[in-house]
Amino acid sequence: MALSLVLFGSHAAFAATPVIKIKIQDHLFFPEIIEIPAYTKVKLLINNLDPTAEEFESYELNREKIISGNRKAIIFIGPLPPGEYPFFGEFYPKTAQGKVVVVEQ
Amino acid sequence: MFISIFNVQIMTALLNTFLRPTLWLGLACCTTFSVCIADGNAVDKIYHPYVDALEQELEWRTIYQDNQPGAKDHRQLHRFSYGRAFGDRWFGEIYLTGENSEDTSFKLEAYEIEAKWQITEQGEYWSDWGLLIELEKEAHENIWEFSTGILVEKEWGRWSGTANLLLTHEWGSDIEDEVESSAALQVRYRLSRWFEPALEFYSGEDTQAIGPVFMGNINTGTRQSLHWEAGMIFGLTEESANNTVRLLIEYEF
Repeated sequence: MALSLVLFGSHAAFAATPVIKIKIQDHLFFPEIIEIPAYTKVKLLINNLDPTAEEFESYELNREKIISGNRKAIIFIGPLPPGEYPFFGEFYPKTAQGKVVVVEQ
Repeated sequence: MFISIFNVQIMTALLNTFLRPTLWLGLACCTTFSVCIADGNAVDKIYHPYVDALEQELEWRTIYQDNQPGAKDHRQLHRFSYGRAFGDRWFGEIYLTGENSEDTSFKLEAYEIEAKWQITEQGEYWSDWGLLIELEKEAHENIWEFSTGILVEKEWGRWSGTANLLLTHEWGSDIEDEVESSAALQVRYRLSRWFEPALEFYSGEDTQAIGPVFMGNINTGTRQSLHWEAGMIFGLTEESANNTVRLLIEYEF
């Protein structure tokens, strides 16, 4: 019974994590501005449509992740206080730029 | 499909209900009781439970220590390594370790191979988990050392807390077989990519020590950077070295 409750609770928490889809194309992030609710964990599903690898990097978000060419990757961010958190593509930093905007809901 | 969801549920349940108290219990044990470590100084770098796919690195790290009972005075350990990622979850590294002291000139002391496994995705659970495996052979003696343990990291905004909890088995004809344990804890403030202050605590058979460490990254090109760490660790017990200076420079590419 206790295990069932634990499993149910964890499944509910897992299912509740909002998913935001981002794509990388021609060394640009789409969308480049991502709005997420404050103090909420969010799952970014990044689809790299370019044939070359890219690295999602953000010191402000404390994340660094390689996404191989024509592959997908998952990055979890948050919970975060309201504010703006820039990110960029390490391989093409001049074009691949964006930011996460965390807003109070 | 059912199995996949069920596995995720079990994994999440374990992480949420079992590993969290285990972590705190482990940290409490390591900081409360006198745990032991491979002979001598426990001060080393703190490992983080993350792997950056495609990354390679060259590293030099050294410790300099003085006034540790039973150890050579003004002892310096130098470790040179090359490492690279294998996929996005594994990182392998090979080391050469050299030593010199007031009484001895610099000589090769040991060879080592090491593997790190990133178990969980960063930020997915309450804390992030990794596993470290090391195998070391003394260069001039028949002494082997196998270590394994967990790497745990928790983020609180700009603060990060990291724990390395390791078990080591030593064997060979030149040493008495024994199993030892060690703990290393770090609290770090992510002030800027160039400069981050931290406090580190080390616990081992001959060492209980704490001190400030500073670190940062200097970008030298596309996916190229220099990572540096410098710290002064102070002994807390009579058996510990009075002062240990630790330095690390890592070229990541």
